[in-house]
Amino acid sequence: MLEIRNLTKIYDDGTVALRNVSFTVPDGEFLVVIGLSGSGKSTLLRCINRLIDPTEGQIFWDDVDITTLKGDDLRNMRRKIGMVFQQFNLVKRSTVLTNVMAGRLGYVPTWRSIINRFDDADKQRAHAALKRMGITDQSNKRADELSGGQQQRVGIARALMQEPKLILADEPVASLDPVLAHSILQHLENLNKEDGMTIICSLHYLDLVQRYSTCVIGLRDGRLVYQGDKKQILRMTDAEFKTIYGEEAERMGGISGEIAEDECLSDGKEVAE
Amino acid sequence: MNQKDQSSEEKPSLVPPIAAGLTSLVVPGLGHMLARKFRKGLVLLFVFLSAAGLWVWRVNEAARREVGFAAMFKKAIQLQPIILIILVLIILLYFLIALDAYKSAAKTKPNSFLLWAFALTSFFVLGWQIGEIKPAVLVRDGAKSLPLLMRVLWPWEKAVYYPEELLVGKADVVIPCTPNAEVEPRVLEEGAPYVSVTPGCGNLSEIDGAEGTRLHMVGGNFSPNEETEIWWVDQVRNEFRYRYSGEYVKVVTDENGSFELDVVIPYRVIPSTGGKGYALWQVEARQVASVGKPVLSEELKLSVEKMIETIFLGMMSTLFGVVLSIPVSFIASRNLMSANWFTKAVYLVVRTILNIVRSIESLVWAVIAIIAVGLGPFAGILALTVHSIAALGKLYSEAIESIDPGPVEAIQATGANWFQTVWYAVIPQIVPPFVSFTIYRWDINVRMSTVIGMVGGGGIGYLLIQWIRLLDYRSAGIAIWFIAITVAILDFVSSEIRNRFV
Repeated sequence: MLEIRNLTKIYDDGTVALRNVSFTVPDGEFLVVIGLSGSGKSTLLRCINRLIDPTEGQIFWDDVDITTLKGDDLRNMRRKIGMVFQQFNLVKRSTVLTNVMAGRLGYVPTWRSIINRFDDADKQRAHAALKRMGITDQSNKRADELSGGQQQRVGIARALMQEPKLILADEPVASLDPVLAHSILQHLENLNKEDGMTIICSLHYLDLVQRYSTCVIGLRDGRLVYQGDKKQILRMTDAEFKTIYGEEAERMGGISGEIAEDECLSDGKEVAE
Repeated sequence: MNQKDQSSEEKPSLVPPIAAGLTSLVVPGLGHMLARKFRKGLVLLFVFLSAAGLWVWRVNEAARREVGFAAMFKKAIQLQPIILIILVLIILLYFLIALDAYKSAAKTKPNSFLLWAFALTSFFVLGWQIGEIKPAVLVRDGAKSLPLLMRVLWPWEKAVYYPEELLVGKADVVIPCTPNAEVEPRVLEEGAPYVSVTPGCGNLSEIDGAEGTRLHMVGGNFSPNEETEIWWVDQVRNEFRYRYSGEYVKVVTDENGSFELDVVIPYRVIPSTGGKGYALWQVEARQVASVGKPVLSEELKLSVEKMIETIFLGMMSTLFGVVLSIPVSFIASRNLMSANWFTKAVYLVVRTILNIVRSIESLVWAVIAIIAVGLGPFAGILALTVHSIAALGKLYSEAIESIDPGPVEAIQATGANWFQTVWYAVIPQIVPPFVSFTIYRWDINVRMSTVIGMVGGGGIGYLLIQWIRLLDYRSAGIAIWFIAITVAILDFVSSEIRNRFV
């Protein structure tokens, strides 16, 4: 269980990215974070694996306060949290296989990773991950030779190498066309349902949110302004929509699908203002 | 700037247009300032004053010996009419500035194109005069340099030389004919040049009197079709070249290397016969002939040696430059050095030093290095290394500054440590620009090392400048050819490597 308590992040230039955000994610959820660009979604995700140090507040993951971890403890925490990025963030000049292997760095001694010697178990893992993502035949290509959808699959394969319990996905489909977007999100859904990984994913399109999320939070100007489970997101009111996206926002799309019986966000009391 | 323009358009001129024009005639540019075009007025004042000042200086330069400005001016335009043209341009500029001031004050938005065009033209004509540009001289005298140029362009006559040998054939002549003269018979080696005379004795020519005995001279085994000189050696071994009617006598051998010739025993002060009653002379045929195969000339060998030195000079300075500039580039990268005020200060200091070092040319560094370590390639390597560190340090650090932070973030997120992150996310991104900049620098260093010898820093430049000063244009041409060939190969190789790597 991941518990965020009063998380605040103020950047050096004075920008307030997160204001006193609190919520809880039970294990095995597919949590989608929605909100405008600049609302603090990326900052929130990066605070969870400490790519960004929060200014105030705590993050408890299985009762360990992530915000106080240092050195090896921090790295051991990070290797249990996979991350997938909007721009894929692959090392473009390295091969697909090297990029995937890089996901294992947290488990490999420095000297062995420098001379590029991974043991057989790791190689097996890499092949399994590539196979699962359906890109086995691309493994010796340079990462920048692949299409966007394939690159994102490499990104997910890299995260899989960490054998994570939690995957953070920062707008993983924002650079992809709708067909690929579904394909990538289905892979994430798969990991969520079959492997029981918790997914925290930021998304822009409401139809995708409705299709894949098991629960949703909304951020606006760094404040938590919306919380809802699958049921609630399917019948999101225009008022709620405008709280998240602003008064001028025009609601487009969105479906009214089958309402899943789902219960999440048990600790949903602290909605800011 | 736009805002100021607008505000000046809105605000009316301080003075009427006529007044602006007239004040501009007193002080060019002042009219604009009064018409609330302060900056334009300042620029025009500066333009006018500098043009006028430069013109006065050039008049002084052109007629230095004259006294008084009027006399100088007269002499200067007599010597260089272009000075008068410049004066006319400056006067026109003066009036155009006044006209522009009038227009500016009269609220019409003046079209100042003509004014600026005039100002620019004045400066370009001044530049023509200051640069002492004389195309006529190039056309008239340029042709004189053509023979020298040809020697530089095709210097290969000096690349090889043919070893020469003096071929000598001798025959004894007894003067006067004496039956019992002791003449040792000459032993002829097989194939060696020989000369025989018939008869083998005779009398000397007498001054204003009878000609000496005419001898029939036959020679063989000489080099074919070559000019051959005839020399006499008297009994005290004085050698003198044979003349007939005041002219040196030469004979050209036939295709078999043989010749036939009649010679007359020349006049000589009657020498002592040493009590023997006769003198023993020799007549010789001498031929300077090239023998054997052509061999490479000393100049060519020196050029090759120094060219090799040059290439290695460039290589070593690139190596040192690269090795030393990599650490420098890390502390000169803004993105790595923005952690706190101390690292920012280090960044600023390092960047400033790099800029200063880079702005001093390698040749100047070479002169400084020579003071430190003396003449020779080491000084050149030091100079090029210093310059390479500064240039590469800047290029490398810019490459580091421009890496994509995404992969770094992604590798960090996997739980990798700092070293693994640098190895997997930073290094792959900076290798291509580093390789490309290194090759670029290697290219520059080899080019620079060809001239760094001109100030004594080793390499082929030293030979080149020496040969040019000795007016040995052929040898200089050889050196220039080697430089050109090396640079061409270098260009090819470096672009190939770049294509492979980047």
